[in-house]
Amino acid sequence: MIEITDLRKEFILSKQQRKELNTTEDKAIAVDGVSLTCQPGRIFSLLGPNGAGKTTTLRMISTIFKPTSGSINICGIDALKDPQEARRKMGFLTGATGLYARLTPNEIIKYFADLYSIPKEVYEPRKEKLYDLLDMHDFQSKRIGKLSTGMKQKVSICRTMIHDPEVVIFDEPTSGLDVITAENIIRLIRDCKEQGKTVIFSSHIMSEVDLLCDDMAIIHKGKMLFNGTMDEYRTNMQAENLTAEFIRIVNSSKEI
Amino acid sequence: MIYTIFKKELTDTLRDKRTLVMMLVIPILIFPVILNVFVSVSASFTAEAAEKTVKIGYVGSPDNYIYSHVQDLPESYGKKKMIQYKDTVKLKEDIKNDVVQIGLSSSSSIKEEMESKKPTNVIAFFNATDMGMQDRAKTYLKAVETIAQQERYLDLKLKESELTPIAVNYQNVASDKEMIGKMAGGILPYIFIAFGFIGCMYPAIDLFTGEKERGTIETLLTTPVLRWQILFGKMGVVVLSGLLAASCALIGLYLSIEVMNIVENEELLTVIKSVLNFKFLLMLYGLLIPLTVFFAGVMIPIAVYAKSFKEAQSIITPLNIIMVLPAMVGFFPGIELDLVTACIPVVNVVLATKELIAGTLDLGLLGLSFIIMISLAVIAVFVSYKRFDKETNIIL
Repeated sequence: MIEITDLRKEFILSKQQRKELNTTEDKAIAVDGVSLTCQPGRIFSLLGPNGAGKTTTLRMISTIFKPTSGSINICGIDALKDPQEARRKMGFLTGATGLYARLTPNEIIKYFADLYSIPKEVYEPRKEKLYDLLDMHDFQSKRIGKLSTGMKQKVSICRTMIHDPEVVIFDEPTSGLDVITAENIIRLIRDCKEQGKTVIFSSHIMSEVDLLCDDMAIIHKGKMLFNGTMDEYRTNMQAENLTAEFIRIVNSSKEI
Repeated sequence: MIYTIFKKELTDTLRDKRTLVMMLVIPILIFPVILNVFVSVSASFTAEAAEKTVKIGYVGSPDNYIYSHVQDLPESYGKKKMIQYKDTVKLKEDIKNDVVQIGLSSSSSIKEEMESKKPTNVIAFFNATDMGMQDRAKTYLKAVETIAQQERYLDLKLKESELTPIAVNYQNVASDKEMIGKMAGGILPYIFIAFGFIGCMYPAIDLFTGEKERGTIETLLTTPVLRWQILFGKMGVVVLSGLLAASCALIGLYLSIEVMNIVENEELLTVIKSVLNFKFLLMLYGLLIPLTVFFAGVMIPIAVYAKSFKEAQSIITPLNIIMVLPAMVGFFPGIELDLVTACIPVVNVVLATKELIAGTLDLGLLGLSFIIMISLAVIAVFVSYKRFDKETNIIL
C-alpha cells in the first residue's frame, strides 16, 4: 500500500535555469500538495501531460528525491524516516531505464539480488521462475549490448521483480517501446495486480490507463486535478470520450 | 554492499576496451617505448657525431700557424676537412647554410705575434643551433693552444710544472644512485602521476556520468543501498584503476630492463635495479594511494555534475594539465623536498619519490607529505560525497 499526503517538491533554480525558464523566481514547484492512496491488488495510474510532475512524484515515492514537505508511507513504513526499509518493499521500472551493456542478464540479476540481500536459496528458484515466465534462458549469458530491445525489457522486468516487491512503481514504462515489447509490460502490470501487489504507474496515454487501471489521478503543473476510481471518472465524464475528458480537465485548470 | 558494488563496477570497467587500453596497455608500453626511443636516438646521435666530418672554413693562407696545426690534429679529435675562404662574409653565410660548420679567422699579423711570443687573436665562427659545434671548435683550438704553449716553454727553457703551482683534483662524493636520482629521478614519479590520473579518468567518467547518461543510476538509487556505499564502491574502482595504470607503468619499466634489456648503461641499470625493491615500492605506494584517492575525489564531483560523457571529458582533460603539471617540478635539479614543498600536493609526491630514488629522503618530510595527501584525499572524498548526495546532480 502507498499513502502519500500533501506532497510538495521545490527545486532551487540556478541562474542559468532561471534564464532558460525565463523566470525571476528562485525556485520551481514541481509537485504541489499531491495526496493519494494506492491499494494492494489495484492498479493506480498517475496521468498527466509532459512536465506535469508525474516522474517527480514517483521519484519521491521511490525515495530517489526527498520531498520538500508531506509524507509518504509504503506498506506501513515511513519512507522519509526509513527510506532503506521502504526501498526493500519496492520495485521500480521506467521506460528510460538503461541496463549495463557490458554485463550479461545473469550478472545483472545477481547484482540486484545481492543489493537486496536475497539469500541464495531464495534467489535461485525465484530467478528460474522469472526466466521461465519471461523466456529468458536463451540469452541469459549474452552481453546486454548484444540484445534486442524486447530482450532488454525482459531483463529490466526480471531485475525489478527479483526481490518480489510488494509495491511496484512504473514510470511511463512503455514509452519508446513497440507494441509487442510493450505487451510484456502490460502483462507484468496485470500479473502484479493478480498477485495482490500495489501498482502505481505514470502515463500520458489515456488508452493505456483505460486498459489497466482501477484508480486514477490526473496531475498538471504539479497540482492534482482529479483523484478517484476509473469508474468515477467514466461516470462523471463531460466530454465525449476518455481522452477528450482528460484534455478538458487539464484545459479547465489553465482557465482557473 | 560496498564490495558488491565494487565487484560489479570492476567487472564492468574491465570489459570496457577504451578503459583497458588507457589503464593497462599504454602504461605497460610507455617505458619500453620511451627507453627504446631514447636509447636508439642517443646511440644514433653519438654514432653520427663520431662519423660526421666537420668542415672547417678558414680565411687566410693554409700555412697559417693555427690552420696548419688544426689540419694536423689526429682523427681522434673527430674527422674534419679544411676549406679556404677569401673573406668572413661568405664564410659566415656558409656556416648559416651548413655548408661548413666551423669558421676560423686569425689575426693578419699572426706570424709576427707568434715569433715575438705575443698573444694572437683567433675568431671561431659557429652556429649555436648546430649542436656540439662550439665544443668541437673549442677542442681544436685548445689543442693548438697547448701545442703553442709547449713550444714557448721549450724556447724559453721553462718547465711546465713550475708554471702550474696548484694542481686541483675535483672529486665527486655523491654516489651514482644519488646523482641519477637527483637528476633524472623526477621522470619516474611524473609517469606514475600522469598514468595514475589517466587511469582514474575514464572509470570516473564511465561510472558516474556514464551511469547517469545511460539511465542506470535511477534504478540503483531505488535499491536499499546507502548513497555513500554506492559512492565508495564506485570510488574504489576509480582508485584501483589509477593504481593499476601506475603499476602497469612500473611493470613496463621492469620489462624494459629485465626482459628486453633496453638499458645498456651499467650505472643507470644498477641504480634502477637498486631502486626497484620492496621498501621503495612500499613507500611509493604509500604516497600514490592517497594521491590517487585525491585524484578520484577531484574527478568524481565533476563526473557527477556533468550531464554527458563529453561534458565530463571536456572538464577533466584540462584538469589533467593543472594536476600533472606540478609533477614536472621533479625535472628541475635544484628543487628539493623541504617544509614548503612537502605541503604542496603532487609536488610533494614527486619530490619525495625523487629523494627516495636518490636515497636521501627525510622521513619527517615524507610523513608530512603523507599527512598532507591523506588530508586532501579526505577532503576530496567528502566533497564527492556532498556532490553525490545532491539529488539534482545524480539524476538527469
